[in-house]
Amino acid sequence: MPNSRMILLTGGSACGKSSYGEELCMRLPFPRYYIAAMRPFGDGSEEKIARHRRLRSGKGFETIERYTDLQGLVLPERGTVLLECICNLTANEMFDEEGAWINPYETVVAGVEALRRQSDTLVVITNEVGTDSRTYDSGTQAYMDVIGRINRTLAQQADVVCELVCGLPLGRKGSLEDVF
Amino acid sequence: MILIVGGEGSGKWSFAKTLGYTEQEIADAVIDERPVVYHLERLVFAQPEQADALLDSLLEKEVVICCEVGSGIIPVERNERLGREATGRLCVLLAQQAQAVVRMVCGIPTVIKGELP
Repeated sequence: MPNSRMILLTGGSACGKSSYGEELCMRLPFPRYYIAAMRPFGDGSEEKIARHRRLRSGKGFETIERYTDLQGLVLPERGTVLLECICNLTANEMFDEEGAWINPYETVVAGVEALRRQSDTLVVITNEVGTDSRTYDSGTQAYMDVIGRINRTLAQQADVVCELVCGLPLGRKGSLEDVF
Repeated sequence: MILIVGGEGSGKWSFAKTLGYTEQEIADAVIDERPVVYHLERLVFAQPEQADALLDSLLEKEVVICCEVGSGIIPVERNERLGREATGRLCVLLAQQAQAVVRMVCGIPTVIKGELP
């Protein structure tokens, strides 16, 4: 994929991934698209979406709400794209219309690839979900496993991978200096 | 102010002691006259919606120690969810103004911002 760069940002909840992703995009040219994968209901997602909207306002992003099927998404133009986030996208792709479990791995990975082909720079936000001490039901366990696998594949494909800790980017692969 | 973060049992407390602090100087999940605040996450979880109000007094401390609690599955229970988000956000704010941020992994400190005195 010539001239398509991908930056993967990972970290726990509220570690500053979104702000940092937006900051990176602000240094990159228009048009800037924000692909929102979080469905606006349940588990405090309305508050979260409202907060993200506030943070993003005035930064020149065009928001595209897309909860599933990134492969079918056609961007109006090539540009800078921020995808938020893999965990929501994966959760949305995990069940078919009848509610039966389907493995979302291929769909998510192919979806990110399709988005990358339409981007000069694609910034992907994901989350560290595998680091707590609890035991979960088999569905949640499968979700954690597949996110881990998707994250590994995306990291292989990405030019730069950063882990965010307390808002500070820790380089895990490549260098942002190669991007800017 | 030096911010020390890391998982449970990662060696944050032991590292603070290597900076010269004694047990008597470490305030556990409370903000008082002592120079080191330990278990910040417990303070935040007690009142997640008031977390921002802690910022100013924490910035006056010499060392703030906080467990990283945001990695894992998002909890279903509201207070727990708010607690881990508030902890994360407060740590971002603390890190912005900290002279140094240290992250512990397996007892090994990595300075991820600034320099230790």
